[in-house]
Amino acid sequence: MRRKSLLERIRLFGRSAIDVLAVLGRSSLFLVHAMVGRGGIGGGFQLLVKQLYSIGVMSLAIIIVSGIFIGMVLSLQGFNILAKYGSEQAVGQMIALTLLRELGPVVTALLFAGRAGSALTAEIGNMKSTEQLSSLEMIGVDPLKYIVAPRLWAGFISLPLLAMIFSVVGIWGGSWVAVDWLGVYEGSFWSNMQNSVSFVDDVLNGVVKSVVFAFVVTWIAVFQGYDCEPTSEGISRATTKTVVYASLAVLGLDFILTALMFGDF
Amino acid sequence: MQNRTLEIGVGLFLLAGILALILLALRVSGLSASPSSDTYKLYAYFDNIAGLTVRAKVTMAGVTIGKVTAIDLDRDTFTGRVTLQLEKRVDNLPVDSTASILTAGLLGEKYIGISVGGEEALLKDGGTIHDTQSSLVLEDLIGKFLLNTVSKEAK
Amino acid sequence: MSAENAYAVELKGVSFKRGTRSIFNNVDIRIPRGKVTGIMGPSGCGKTTLLRLMGAQLRPSSGEVWVAGQNLPQLSRSDLFDARKQMGVLFQSGALFTDLDVFENVAFPLRVHTQLPEEMIRDIVLMKLQAVGLRGAIELMPDELSGGMKRRVALARAIALDPQILMYDEPFVGQDPIAMGVLVRLIRLLNDALGITSIVVSHDLAETASIADYIYVVGDGQVLGQGTPDELMDSDNPRIRQFMKGDPDGPVPFHFPAPDYRADLLGKR
Repeated sequence: MRRKSLLERIRLFGRSAIDVLAVLGRSSLFLVHAMVGRGGIGGGFQLLVKQLYSIGVMSLAIIIVSGIFIGMVLSLQGFNILAKYGSEQAVGQMIALTLLRELGPVVTALLFAGRAGSALTAEIGNMKSTEQLSSLEMIGVDPLKYIVAPRLWAGFISLPLLAMIFSVVGIWGGSWVAVDWLGVYEGSFWSNMQNSVSFVDDVLNGVVKSVVFAFVVTWIAVFQGYDCEPTSEGISRATTKTVVYASLAVLGLDFILTALMFGDF
Repeated sequence: MQNRTLEIGVGLFLLAGILALILLALRVSGLSASPSSDTYKLYAYFDNIAGLTVRAKVTMAGVTIGKVTAIDLDRDTFTGRVTLQLEKRVDNLPVDSTASILTAGLLGEKYIGISVGGEEALLKDGGTIHDTQSSLVLEDLIGKFLLNTVSKEAK
Repeated sequence: MSAENAYAVELKGVSFKRGTRSIFNNVDIRIPRGKVTGIMGPSGCGKTTLLRLMGAQLRPSSGEVWVAGQNLPQLSRSDLFDARKQMGVLFQSGALFTDLDVFENVAFPLRVHTQLPEEMIRDIVLMKLQAVGLRGAIELMPDELSGGMKRRVALARAIALDPQILMYDEPFVGQDPIAMGVLVRLIRLLNDALGITSIVVSHDLAETASIADYIYVVGDGQVLGQGTPDELMDSDNPRIRQFMKGDPDGPVPFHFPAPDYRADLLGKR
């Protein structure tokens, strides 16, 4: 391999920067076309219900199971550490705050990207490669409205709900380990939690986080499917990209959102 | 019909989500359904509020009767002004009641305890508790203790 | 205007570029109304691209695409979707919607574009499926159909709205002889019975020549020749002759451009 000259490297870097800009622009236009303008198709609600089922309901099992386990692990670890300082009754507040502020929205978004996001990308990519999208276009139906929009909305609605369900079952799993197993007094477990958790600052901020994550993850997933190369390798590459990009975006945004919400400035 | 189960599934999912929000609100964050209108405000000035935070509870004889809603510095007296929000049902506090900053356990959270005075006149909404006891600051305590031992040895 | 009316689709000086690569260069094609027109050429010469230009799924870099008196590249997105209602396309893979059964697939264009009552939709769907001989398959899902049946269902869907123009993208690829025979007959039959204009994009010589009234041969981003099948068979253009006769070597070389063979073998490593 020939070594690249400095000039060539700069040129390559510039080109990839321009490529990134182009993708950003294309995906934004894509989003605007899908969400704005005449929806036009009867039965749009039916389409949404169908997508809510395949995106939201089908992700419930993994969310609930992971939620319970994460809550239980948090409880065990928290108990062991807090017990050293004799304040094991604070384990409730620790679990609740951790789940509501961070783990609920973030872990749910990551699981969602893996479970529903990759499926969305593969499904739309497959429709593209089998010319179903072209076929819709030629029938005179805008695939952005018919295929993409319901999936976007279903994602936006599902993820915040899933995140809240995740937090609830996580707290329940944590209380089960702490109260029924490790013997933390139930009254102080709950009252400590209620004293330290604020509805607006913790619960609603967590919901806001998951709404932002829902937007980003679904957008990436649907766009990768729509923009993929219509071959089997193209689809598998797009699916990988969805999971990687969505996960990175979630973690990056989480830091920014946390700084805005809980950092003091 | 297959369509029917799909719709029921989605309905249950939405219901579960809303239920989760309600549970988080009531059970986890202890948001009470009763509006804040049946509370009243009192102010208390402390030389040192160190460690007291907003939303700390206000107790009387160990029973929670309200919470701290704001903490700020009074510019003229250089003391910390704490705003207390108390439940209306305890509206019979005498004007010379004492508010003190207490600690739950040795290192636990700070809260405000109110002990009753003997006056006939009662505190009204927006009134001020004048008799206050500041937060126990561990450093001061240790400092005093050391000073005592030093002066004892000097004798 | 009367001259325009003789043609259902007209491409005037159309050029198309993908990136920096030029796919078509100043192409003129006129598709006569009510006839079966074949567009032929070797694989990879951009025949499908041509079809997509006619359906305005791709926008030409320059030139005009007139369909039914409208210049498609100038239409707005929503006008375009309206204009497409007069076109039916049979895609290579059939492109049936995999989550809908045969009935719903054919009913789909009717549901989105008309307000017809359910019984009427059912009647129309049954008629269209009868025309392609698949009325009995009404409850099957697309993955339960063979390749040939998929294409026939897709054909029924394409004619559901009674379009004026019907385009076939490689309809004969990967079909067994029976399915091929059925499709050839259907294309001719539908064209004559419904009076639609048919455009068949294909590289299957015998089948296309047997049904087409007129054929365009494209290659190298240009129209190489045109005429009735018989005229083209007798063409003196060597490139057309090579294509029509199926000779392995000729103006389209057997060898991919490469350095001299001897030099390559004997040359230094």
